[in-house]
Amino acid sequence: MTLLLPHIFNGLTLGLLFALIALGFTLIVGVMEVINLAHGSLFGLGAYFALTIIGAGWLSDTTFGVWWLSLPIAPRYILALILGPIFAGLAGMVLELALRRTYGKVPLYGLLLTFGAALVIEELIRLGWGTGEQFLQLPQSINGAVLIGGLIFSKYKLFAAGFSMLAIAAVWVFLEKTPYGAIIKAGAHDSEMVRALGFDLARLRLLVFGLGAGLAGLAGVIMVPIWGLRPHVGVDVVIPAFLIIALGGVGSFWGSVTAAILVGLSVGITGAYAPAWSMMSMYILLILVVGFRTRGLFGKKSALEN
Amino acid sequence: MTKGNLSRRQLLKTTAAAGAVGTFFGPWKHNRVYAAASDKPIKIGITSDASGQYANSGASDRRGMHMAIAEYNAKGGVLGRKIESTHIDTETTPATGSRVAERMINREEAGFLIGAVSSGVANAISQVAQKNGVIYFNTNSSSPTESGKNCHRVKFVWDGNGTNFAKAAVKNSIDRFGDQWTLLTNDYVWGHNTAAATRSLLEQYGGTVVDEILVPQGTRDFSSALLNIQQAGPDVVAAAIGGDDQKAMRQQVAQLGMGDSPAWINNQQDWPDVYGLPLDNLFGVFGTTWYYKLALPGVDDFVKRYQAMYPDTKMRVPGNVFYNGYMAMSNMLAAIERAGTTNNIAVIKELEGHKMSAKDRMQHDDAWIDPATHQVQQTIYLATANTGSEDKDDMFKILNNVSPQDVSDTNAGGSCQLESYDDTPTFDA
Repeated sequence: MTLLLPHIFNGLTLGLLFALIALGFTLIVGVMEVINLAHGSLFGLGAYFALTIIGAGWLSDTTFGVWWLSLPIAPRYILALILGPIFAGLAGMVLELALRRTYGKVPLYGLLLTFGAALVIEELIRLGWGTGEQFLQLPQSINGAVLIGGLIFSKYKLFAAGFSMLAIAAVWVFLEKTPYGAIIKAGAHDSEMVRALGFDLARLRLLVFGLGAGLAGLAGVIMVPIWGLRPHVGVDVVIPAFLIIALGGVGSFWGSVTAAILVGLSVGITGAYAPAWSMMSMYILLILVVGFRTRGLFGKKSALEN
Repeated sequence: MTKGNLSRRQLLKTTAAAGAVGTFFGPWKHNRVYAAASDKPIKIGITSDASGQYANSGASDRRGMHMAIAEYNAKGGVLGRKIESTHIDTETTPATGSRVAERMINREEAGFLIGAVSSGVANAISQVAQKNGVIYFNTNSSSPTESGKNCHRVKFVWDGNGTNFAKAAVKNSIDRFGDQWTLLTNDYVWGHNTAAATRSLLEQYGGTVVDEILVPQGTRDFSSALLNIQQAGPDVVAAAIGGDDQKAMRQQVAQLGMGDSPAWINNQQDWPDVYGLPLDNLFGVFGTTWYYKLALPGVDDFVKRYQAMYPDTKMRVPGNVFYNGYMAMSNMLAAIERAGTTNNIAVIKELEGHKMSAKDRMQHDDAWIDPATHQVQQTIYLATANTGSEDKDDMFKILNNVSPQDVSDTNAGGSCQLESYDDTPTFDA
């Protein structure tokens, strides 16, 4: 007989991973009102950068590469966890520079540009890293299995869920408790006033987009040891991220986190009793919520409606 | 005459010319003739996935076809005509497969179609191909329905199917691991049919299905399914999970250390899905139609030709998907050559019942194309991870080879109703 409790626990961890996936997407949509369809490709890019950092990439045959590869996996992984997202963030900043010409125009332009960027990034990944399946090495301390309540759980998945909680908390602290966060939120609310107060709005947008892309890259580094790594890995990201934002309410940080956990629970529990419906369950959840509340769970009136 | 005015004579000439061209090129219906007996290249439409779940396998499939075409062109082509190919991405989506097939036939004027990894896509392509009488080779999709209820006069299936692999594995695994089985099944045509074949054989040999877990296509998190398996505690899990789903599943099973207990039977393991992965991801017993380390004549030379043609590919050795793509394409061209014509019916007749020697196939047994189902009957190999090798490419340990007679899909003949020759549009490509 299927016991419910392990599946609820599994659904919660899955929800936290979904929240991590949606975090960067939420930030960019909420603050800049840009739907970044390249989110998935930046997710993949972060993971591929991490892969290169861990494996020394093109430097693997040099003296430095040999020395680097002689180090234990843990320091290489930690550096990859830091630098992978930073590089993805830088790529995101380049994308933001290209996006500037679409600001103030029909939103479709931004959509098309980020969609095109997604295709370009995916092809660049194919050129740079090949088309085959890759594997991100993990430190032994977070790899393997752990026994909870007589059932085997993945140690890495628990680490990833814990890491997601940390990332969610860090982004919340940044947005709510730092002056930079206050400026970003003010910029989203009334950009003209922020500009009038002497803040460089262009730089602010660059920072937000870079941060959102960096979070996408971070999610990539964290998720690919579970999902596997291939050039089109990002395709699996955009739809859940978009769904979570719509479910939680555009612009609502905690709305997205709550929606992600609900999606995780729905996928996890449906997976236990009606596995064929596990993927469909998230869409049914969206229909149910949006059917009653079009702005999602915590959505406020969008600036677009003003 | 002033510019822009058309004389009556010119109008008549233009009309006559347009009529001639129209007669030559179409419309494409029964008895089309648009390039026969000419030195116009034979055009082959490659209908393989370049995106979606089977993008990587699709690339390997294409490499195999391209090598066969290059070898034939180096010999001067077929019937004195060069071989040209054009590829359109079928996106691992049946609806796209139909559109691509229509476009290949009606706009690209491809005389033959080849390529598929997904059975849903292959089925969609073959329906369009049959409607137009265009010979279609399904290279790498392995649902039993492809040579069963979805068979067509124009379609030839080159991969071993789910029943073939299940027959090779089920009895042996009941004896070795136990009779309580859970089926882990991708929720689409190939998964369902493969699981049905496994279930039927299991019942035949005295095993029991304790549970069947359906996994939607596109699943990336298998934790719920793996929790269910732990709670049910079967002796064996028979997995029919394909493409990227399978890669994610393998990674997660390896992380949980569940690769050895319960025992895993993976119906078929495509080489592009596992190449380069750590060996602990390659748990359980699985089937394949070919391996680059088979100690058979011609295999080493085949590997060298692959490496010479694709020196930059990260997949340093060919796998089963490449092999099927190559074998299918070279046999298509050989059949045209033997038939001495590109007439589709003549080529179909040349293929039906055609025998291929074990030496030519680089397999342990002679193979043949079953005239009743159009599926290639071939040797099936059972393999597991090769943990004892220093060579990173040498990932499989071949456990045994099973002859085509022993793994024959005996149900396919009953469910396959090939269209008659008269009901198949005929044309010369």
